[in-house]
Amino acid sequence: MFTWPLDALLIFMVGTPAVGWLVHKNGYQKILGIYASASLLITAYFLYGLYKEAAEKGIILIVGQLPFSPPLGACLEIDMLSIFMAFLYIIIGLFATAYSIKFMESDSGLTEYYTLILGMIAGMIGIVFAGDFFTLFVFWELMCLTSYALVAFRKQKWEPIEAGFKYLVMSVAGSVTILLAMSFLYGMTGTLNFAALADGLTAATSEGWLYITLALVIVGFGVKAAIVPFHTWLPDAHSAAPSPISAMLSGVMVQTAVCALIRILLLVFNSAQPAWQMTLAVFAVFTMFGGNLMALLQNDLKRLLAFSTIAHLGYIIFGFATVSQDGLTAALFHTINHAIMKTLLFLCAGAFIRQTRTRDLRKLRGIGKTMPATVVFFSIGTIAIAAFPPLNGFWSEMMIISAGVRAEMIIFSTLTLANMALSVVYYFRLIRIIVLEEPTKVAKEAIRAPISMLIPLLILAFLCVFIGVYPGPFIGVSSKAAEAMLNIEAYIDSVLGGL
Amino acid sequence: MIPLNYYIACAVALYIIGMYCLASKRNMIKLVMGIEILVNAAHLSFIAFSAYRAVGYIDPLGHVVVIMSIGFAGCVTALALAIVTYAYKHYKTLDVRKLRRLKW
Repeated sequence: MFTWPLDALLIFMVGTPAVGWLVHKNGYQKILGIYASASLLITAYFLYGLYKEAAEKGIILIVGQLPFSPPLGACLEIDMLSIFMAFLYIIIGLFATAYSIKFMESDSGLTEYYTLILGMIAGMIGIVFAGDFFTLFVFWELMCLTSYALVAFRKQKWEPIEAGFKYLVMSVAGSVTILLAMSFLYGMTGTLNFAALADGLTAATSEGWLYITLALVIVGFGVKAAIVPFHTWLPDAHSAAPSPISAMLSGVMVQTAVCALIRILLLVFNSAQPAWQMTLAVFAVFTMFGGNLMALLQNDLKRLLAFSTIAHLGYIIFGFATVSQDGLTAALFHTINHAIMKTLLFLCAGAFIRQTRTRDLRKLRGIGKTMPATVVFFSIGTIAIAAFPPLNGFWSEMMIISAGVRAEMIIFSTLTLANMALSVVYYFRLIRIIVLEEPTKVAKEAIRAPISMLIPLLILAFLCVFIGVYPGPFIGVSSKAAEAMLNIEAYIDSVLGGL
Repeated sequence: MIPLNYYIACAVALYIIGMYCLASKRNMIKLVMGIEILVNAAHLSFIAFSAYRAVGYIDPLGHVVVIMSIGFAGCVTALALAIVTYAYKHYKTLDVRKLRRLKW
């Protein structure tokens, strides 16, 4: 119905409660985590099949029942960008679920937990597959609803409840803004299909309504993408959620919103490009400064990482705002790198939290003496995210800056470079606190993290080094995805060509 | 027939009322009601546009979107109310300004 990978994921999601009911006795809970990881692996296999088909045909168009073919009915349009993002979601989801097997073992309600994780991944994949606003909105709400529940998952504590409520209120306001923008687009053109909208909007619409709708779209997606004036939910939600969920939220969910925003701007609002390009570049600089300056002041490990996510979103949005092949390649490559590095850092933070029961950096001083393996992985992640040459963060950040210079946005590129230099300060503060200082009482009492939690960390740290040493193929796939994103004519033709 | 502009003005007014409600109300239940007002603003706009596409004809697409969206709004409200009950258990109040242990 929705292509094999998405169908499989939705069926596995619905099947999770049945598995949970079968294994509800204590001690068998691990099976649920293994089930979720296995279902993600199977989905990845199906997605590989879809990848081969997409590589052959360029764009795959999936329509509903025949009398309602697009632009009337809903459709899915799958190109290289969709496949690229979907692979990223599944890989990060796999790490998060595999890590959760041990990390969440003392929590209750694991059935719901894994159902929600699978639902969230299905929602994100649906967003990048969607070919019209209606499909996008349905999967958008699936992603949002599951993420609200996951942020407030540990409901016996005050912090997740408070952060969850704040996140819910802000995010719903964003979703509704998107819905209102959708209704205006529908009123102007009578359709919700991206391709038909692109065709209809360029023809003849009043300038005023076009810009109002554009503003509503940027604000609506901007809330989820944590663009700076709308970012206040992010640090709370990321630090209150369980660590694997923080990794998913920070590594892929916010990037989904950025990706959907750029796809819509490029396709639908193509005629207003000069307007939104400058707006996005200015917002990107605000986002970088906001994230980096706030991160300097934090004493809470996960809050610090959350503000660093905001800063990196700024870099990614700036890469997209150049609207050139180089800039989009760099931004997508940075999306992979950021997802890997941030997942590594959040999962390491989760290991510290599980062993010491605190997130306070003042209490975590010198924990490197007692948890050496985790700290080695954490340091690799920190050095990578601070953009030091042999590791992966360096390549993508340099590519973003050079793409900005080539797109003649020199002032913005300089500000980006200044921000990257600024961010080194707090990354090195993190390493100094965790590795070099004398251990505190809490840090001395910590015991090593269990081996099943260290394996995902090891693979992620290896990926950081591997992509840094051998970035070629990863830049290659990012460049293909960027090409698909910029090839608007082919996208419109694949829907409207047959009419 | 009432002109379309009135409906759109009404939808925008509802949107502004909803945003004002989210920004100014203290009671958490009222915030959830604010969310409902916001959602209904978008729904009204959709329904009005679908009715005015052509004379004597109603476009089903707008209605489909609204029916799905009503379902989602129900889910969001249920989840929000569940969170509100837990917040009440922790804080013994519905005043959102008392939930200030995190920096808003």
